[in-house]
Amino acid sequence: MIALEDLKTTFRLIRRNPVSLTGLVIVLAFFAVGVTAPYILPYPEDAWGEVYHLEKRFLPPSLEHPFGTDEMGRDVFSRVLLGARFSLIIAVGVVGLALLIGIPVGLIAGYLGGRIGTALMRVTDMFLAFPPLLLAIALAATLGRGLTNTIIALAISWWPWYARLVYVQVNSIKSLPYVDAAKIVGLSPLAIMFKHVLPNALTPVTVQAALDMGSAILEAAGLSFLGVGVKPPTPEWGLLVTEGWTSINVAWWISLFPGLAILVTVLGFNLLADALREASDPRLRRILLVSGRV
Amino acid sequence: MPVSKEYIVKRLILLVLVVFGVLIITFVITRIIPAHPELLWAGSHPTKEQLEKARKQLRLDEPIYVQLYYYLVDFVKGNWGVSWRTKHPVLEDITTALPATLELVVVAFIIAIIMGIPLGALAALKRETWIDHIVRVVSVLGASVPVFWLALILQLVLSNWLGILPGAKRVDEYVVIETGFKPITGFILFDSLVQGNFAVFTNALKHIILPAFVLSMYPFGLSARMTRAVMSEVLNEQYTRSALAWGLPRRIVIYKYALKNALAPVIASLGLSFGYTIIGAFMVELVFVWPGLGLYAAMALLSYDYPAVIGCVIVVALIYSVINMVVDIIHSIIDPRVKL
Repeated sequence: MIALEDLKTTFRLIRRNPVSLTGLVIVLAFFAVGVTAPYILPYPEDAWGEVYHLEKRFLPPSLEHPFGTDEMGRDVFSRVLLGARFSLIIAVGVVGLALLIGIPVGLIAGYLGGRIGTALMRVTDMFLAFPPLLLAIALAATLGRGLTNTIIALAISWWPWYARLVYVQVNSIKSLPYVDAAKIVGLSPLAIMFKHVLPNALTPVTVQAALDMGSAILEAAGLSFLGVGVKPPTPEWGLLVTEGWTSINVAWWISLFPGLAILVTVLGFNLLADALREASDPRLRRILLVSGRV
Repeated sequence: MPVSKEYIVKRLILLVLVVFGVLIITFVITRIIPAHPELLWAGSHPTKEQLEKARKQLRLDEPIYVQLYYYLVDFVKGNWGVSWRTKHPVLEDITTALPATLELVVVAFIIAIIMGIPLGALAALKRETWIDHIVRVVSVLGASVPVFWLALILQLVLSNWLGILPGAKRVDEYVVIETGFKPITGFILFDSLVQGNFAVFTNALKHIILPAFVLSMYPFGLSARMTRAVMSEVLNEQYTRSALAWGLPRRIVIYKYALKNALAPVIASLGLSFGYTIIGAFMVELVFVWPGLGLYAAMALLSYDYPAVIGCVIVVALIYSVINMVVDIIHSIIDPRVKL
């Protein structure tokens, strides 16, 4: 459980390391662009993919079009900006939906234990037998292309990790004295589970989930590339890279910039995750605190 | 040897259960989730007769448990359906394609180990210096880069623009014809080396560098980060400190004692990254026209060749489960502390 005091120390640990700080800044910038994107587009119609400018096809990057234009004459910069919005929707959607399935499963399995618990965790293990993205590929191929289907496919391959995490947490919490006290007082199992056990098990899983958003963006892009992700003309970053592929020899910028956007964003999330992992290492914390370097 | 027979038997039983689980989930995905499964299995523009035939083949008019029974029987018998794109049985296509992918993945892992372990060790030795920071960013980059994009960009720059390396296929046709090369196992590098055919070997080696390098990014990042973490832990252990206090040269302590003990978890983490790497191969093979399982799967996805897609999904999940088991056993052999 991460207390407020710990969060402060963690933040100080992040701030004193330039690499971790970069991660934090990238993530914050991504959220800012993702939320404001529709209002700051230089060429809004281009971004939504509703237009065709014959005279402006394949223009290289310039002041007017910083990332150039694509085969339909659309401004790549606007499309990449709006792509942040779709990546944000995908990331939040995937992680949120996965939490919505994973938390109850882990909570019930961990708290009730017994046969129900074992059965639930066996099902979870079955899902974990698939390598990452493979199950999502199979599901997406079955469900068909589209934003919602992409989110569903990824979330279904994703929730077992959270179920596992919550399960482990709940297992250690349920034997604490305060839970016994709640039982003696006569609270119903449901009330104990959701009101008293869950809040204490939530922090690690939500932190993990927030940091997994980078991977969600990366995997959604992979699905798009394999033709089972979002549908054109949605300016999802992976799809933008793929659309530029056919003309990469005449116009490299169409594929380069959306790919860079994925790279930078995912890098930000992963650097931040790395920083938090380091910061939560008790030995390292102690060394740094004792030596007064924090 | 710390590995007991019971453990291996236990792991094998577990493997059978996992395979069963994989089949159940793929059954649910292919037969229960879609409203009309026959539409997916009958090709892209099916006629009425084709649809009817698919319904019969899948036994869709019978109860679910009968369908499941025949699904499992067909799996064991190797009746995995016929690919709509190639018109071959799916299992046959997969076994032909598999060696190319395994060769690519093995070379990618060799590159990942050669780069990752020394860099990670270096970062651990120079902790909190700029070397450490750079290694950290580079290794995190490995896990953050979209492989298909990196493949496209490197192919464009190194192959199309600069012409340094070939950007497609496993080997040039003309070299194969000129030297009369006949592959036996399907592993071109291995076959050509055994036959002493160096023209084909060097040609194939040149072809594999780019795709393998792109594919090595993820396991490279993971192994570098893992080595760094474990090495910094090991360097703080009592025995390394005593060894240093004894006056043993630092180099010997680091490379002979510390690194050796750090290897077990690094190998375990590489095993875990295998799953991600083979999915990366789907995309990398598509870009580099590498005739392996990945290209087959990617083409199947792009052409809505459903039987082939599901066949690939099952095969990859099976390979992944077997690798996980092997890694666990290897891990327990090299690290006696792992209790089984």
